[in-house]
Amino acid sequence: MAVTEAGSVARARARRRFRLPLATTGLLSLPLVWLGIFFLAPIAIVAAYSFNVYSLYPGAHGFTLSAWHDFLHGGVYLRLFWKSVKVSLIVSVMVVALAYPLAYYLALSGTKRKYVLLLLLIAPFLTSYLLRVLAWKVILGNQGVINSFLFSTGLRSPDHPISQLLYSRFAVMLVLAYIWLPFVALPIFVSLETLDRSLLEAASDLGASRRWAFLRVTLPLSVPGIFAGFLFVFIPTLGEFVTPSLVGGASGYLYGNQIVDLFGAGFPDWETGSVLSIFLLVVVAALTVVFSRFLRTGQVAAR
Amino acid sequence: MDVALSKNGARLLRGFFALVVLFLYAPIVILLIFSFNKSAVPSFPLSGFTLKWYREFLSNSDLKGALETSAIVAALSSTGAVALGVLASLALTRRRFRGKSAVSALLLSPLVIPYVVFGVSLLLLFHTLGVPRSLLTIVIGHIVISVPYTILVLVPRLDQVDVAFEEAAADLGAGPLQTFRLVTFPLILPAIVSAFLIAFTTSFDEYAVASFVVGSRVTFPIYLYSALRFPTQLPQVIAVAVVVLVLSLAVVVAAELGRRVAERRLEAKA
Repeated sequence: MAVTEAGSVARARARRRFRLPLATTGLLSLPLVWLGIFFLAPIAIVAAYSFNVYSLYPGAHGFTLSAWHDFLHGGVYLRLFWKSVKVSLIVSVMVVALAYPLAYYLALSGTKRKYVLLLLLIAPFLTSYLLRVLAWKVILGNQGVINSFLFSTGLRSPDHPISQLLYSRFAVMLVLAYIWLPFVALPIFVSLETLDRSLLEAASDLGASRRWAFLRVTLPLSVPGIFAGFLFVFIPTLGEFVTPSLVGGASGYLYGNQIVDLFGAGFPDWETGSVLSIFLLVVVAALTVVFSRFLRTGQVAAR
Repeated sequence: MDVALSKNGARLLRGFFALVVLFLYAPIVILLIFSFNKSAVPSFPLSGFTLKWYREFLSNSDLKGALETSAIVAALSSTGAVALGVLASLALTRRRFRGKSAVSALLLSPLVIPYVVFGVSLLLLFHTLGVPRSLLTIVIGHIVISVPYTILVLVPRLDQVDVAFEEAAADLGAGPLQTFRLVTFPLILPAIVSAFLIAFTTSFDEYAVASFVVGSRVTFPIYLYSALRFPTQLPQVIAVAVVVLVLSLAVVVAAELGRRVAERRLEAKA
């Protein structure tokens, strides 16, 4: 019975989708051609570059793994990669831990203004990225807001500012966390908001304390939101180079900065740069595929 | 008894929420304060009120040029991205075809590509094709990264619109273009507007990809980035920052409120 019902629903839907007289190819050709030329082809060129199959400079081109070999065995770049992984990991975990209680408050405290508060939380994320980094530069510098405040209150002498505030790994992590915090609250909020509250009531009726109900019901059910939030930060920060180059100094130099420098004006090495780029791309693609069911975009992709 | 939160727990979380909001807005407020501060170095103690920095920025032609360039780039790229996004979303919601999940994965994949990798790739492409870097090369890159955002906004809206309206139009003899223009388009207009706004702000604020393919005319983020390296320009930049931050916050709030009102009205009609 249920099967035939499902079948007829599917048929009805199929019929609906079929009836609109718009040609699929007509709709899809332009977007796909655009992405083919300006998204896939460029990546293919970088990949070809990394294997020395293609080069913009004259010389012998032949397939070689030497750049990949140097990358995987040289250590310098891989160490930098792990440093980036560590920084991104710390930032993502920290941000998810901070965002969870915020989302929990919005979704489950029964506050009437939850959408207003949510907008209040997210609005900074929708403003200029660079300007928010600029704000922290003004705050953290040796003559910046924090240090000069300490000088003027006499807590610290102007000869000895807290100089590790800016141009450090700490600054990079602080600014990245600041930038991504509002955004991460969103997927966690969605997972908590859609949670069936009667499950919590059932847990409570069966004698579970609030804490136990949280650990056994709420938390497991919000895991998709936690993962989505984590990936929303981890994936973009892994290749980050703007924030580190503005507030990171030497100790905040990350993998993304290395890629930029390999393609930059100083000592360009496009082949090695291509290897680093493709490696990062493969890691990110693998993460996306493995965790795709936690990413919201899956809803569109699953149709 | 509230099953999710005790009274004290709710109070604690409310306090925490307020603290985080303070943390999020304090840097913006600090910029606001120092944009009116006399001293050229943004530090305490405050040295008196001035509008000098705002006047200077209004007469800084480089900066105004960069803002104008960014506006042009954002207008072109968001228009392109919305056009491609509408086409793709119609195919995803209204058509059945093989390989749909692969197609939608491709359409959304610019969401996750590291911008540094995409920037490098575009740079190599334009070198290969011998295309000189210009406004157009930035527009091309921005369209690619904005298309998935427009799809994520448009597809849910198209799903809400009852296909019966379009079928009725077709039954009454409207061609596909006419059906779209007279039926589908008005129904998804709120989503098109918010897709446009998202693409516009994405492009207006985008530094990473643009930095690889920028020509001689710089966009606002590129100008900002280089200005951040010259402390003498800092107060002016802070003044601009305040204007841009306040404007973009206003646009965000207005767009969200507008979208809700418009969709509610459309639903009431439907």
